[in-house]
Amino acid sequence: MTEQFLVIVLRTLIVSGTATAMAVLVGFPLGYGIARRSFRGRTLLLGFINTGMGMPPVVVGLVVWVLLVRSGPFGDLDLIYTRTAMVLAQFVIATPIVVGFTTASLQALPPRLADLLFVLGAGRMRTMWILAREAKLGLAATIMAAFGAIVSEVGASMIVGGNLERSTRVLTTAIVTETSRGEIERALVLGLILLGLTFIVNLALTIIQQRR
Amino acid sequence: MDVSLESVRVERDSRVLLDVPSLLLRGGRTVAVLGPNGSGKTTLLRVIAGLDRPRVGRVLIGGLPVNASRVAYVFQEQVFLRRSVRDNLELGLRLRGLETKERQVRMEEASRLLGVTHLMDRRADRLSGGEGRRVSLARALCLRAPLVLLDEPLEGLDRPTYSRLLHELPQLLAAFDATKLLVTHNPGEALRFAQDLVVLVDGKVLASGEKSDVATNPHVREVAEALGYFVVIRDGRRVAIPPGALRPGPGPLDFMMDIDEVIDLVATTEIAGRIGEVHVHVELPTGSEPPARGDRISLHADRFFELK
Repeated sequence: MTEQFLVIVLRTLIVSGTATAMAVLVGFPLGYGIARRSFRGRTLLLGFINTGMGMPPVVVGLVVWVLLVRSGPFGDLDLIYTRTAMVLAQFVIATPIVVGFTTASLQALPPRLADLLFVLGAGRMRTMWILAREAKLGLAATIMAAFGAIVSEVGASMIVGGNLERSTRVLTTAIVTETSRGEIERALVLGLILLGLTFIVNLALTIIQQRR
Repeated sequence: MDVSLESVRVERDSRVLLDVPSLLLRGGRTVAVLGPNGSGKTTLLRVIAGLDRPRVGRVLIGGLPVNASRVAYVFQEQVFLRRSVRDNLELGLRLRGLETKERQVRMEEASRLLGVTHLMDRRADRLSGGEGRRVSLARALCLRAPLVLLDEPLEGLDRPTYSRLLHELPQLLAAFDATKLLVTHNPGEALRFAQDLVVLVDGKVLASGEKSDVATNPHVREVAEALGYFVVIRDGRRVAIPPGALRPGPGPLDFMMDIDEVIDLVATTEIAGRIGEVHVHVELPTGSEPPARGDRISLHADRFFELK
């Protein structure tokens, strides 16, 4: 039983960790660009992103399922009911959160900070790095919010992963399964593990965030 | 190092912010850019620093295109990293590739001159207004850039700090061998700090040159007003009167003033009122009997300039 749980925990970490990492890789630069540049339609775009932050995972799961299912436009990729499909769905859920929080964190910095870095001689990459360091409180919170949102979602993982015991079952879908089987004790243990896992990840990020 | 602007035009949302066909700022001088709010002063500074790009035209610093490494900039707002004063001073020196020893020498020199040595380990973003202003100046001056741009360096300071920096800043700037370009809407600051003046109104340079030439030959109403002069019409002629040149009593160029307010400043008395539609204020000589609100008194100007 312990080994079974350990496998599910590791799978959960891999799926949600990969999706968070991908969302950060895409979302940080996007958020940076939106925060730093002014362009036509910027407010509308931010409106869409902020709406996306509250997107129901089950709807995302359904859309990704329609795209990846064998008869769907990307059915040939044979990704449905795989961990990759789960990562993709969680990536879609996490990205608007990362973009929205990153934009807000960078916009909260003093408006002239980027100008200051320019006149002090910082290049584009250095400016991005220094601004990210200055906004680290907000950016660490961004990662926590994104990871928290996807590690705890059940709808998308269930739909695109199929909750297959040996390949796509993660902590949330395992809790659903055990509860439906009447194994309330096992479901509660898995729930505690999920809480503990989220706590450990968030604690690590909080330590980085609060470091002076 | 000379700074020249050639056919520079800056626009935003189809509004012209700056339109300068030609302007030369002579190297090694302290130049004050004077003008009312929204006249394009900060835009001029930002274009010279390379922060904003003109739609057309070019800016040359020492004959070469704008390069941030030759510019130091003191912003109107206090902008700091959330780190120590030392880190904030060191950042620019680090970014410009200076070695540790040289960085230390420059930081020590600038912090000593600006009197911020005791603040080096404090968080820069938590300093008071006056302390922050000094640190901003130290950060800019330790770069030893050939061109130093200062945007309203004394704005928003409390009275004692303002008075102290007003006195110290010209000496501090003189200690650094650079072209200094200072933006202000305060004519008193401009006249105190600068050797040359540029008067900017609605994005256009209406006057530029040596301070004494500009101040004694304001040409037009906008320049006179930017210099803080009272502009009044007398016998169909428009004349500009510098503040302090209006005195009670009759004289060769005299006016009638309607008193709106008599202000007791304890050590002196100031009267505020109107010459025609123009609001003026005059300091009364010590010991003279102050008029009452609603009185009409005679004033004369012992210095004035005729305008076009």
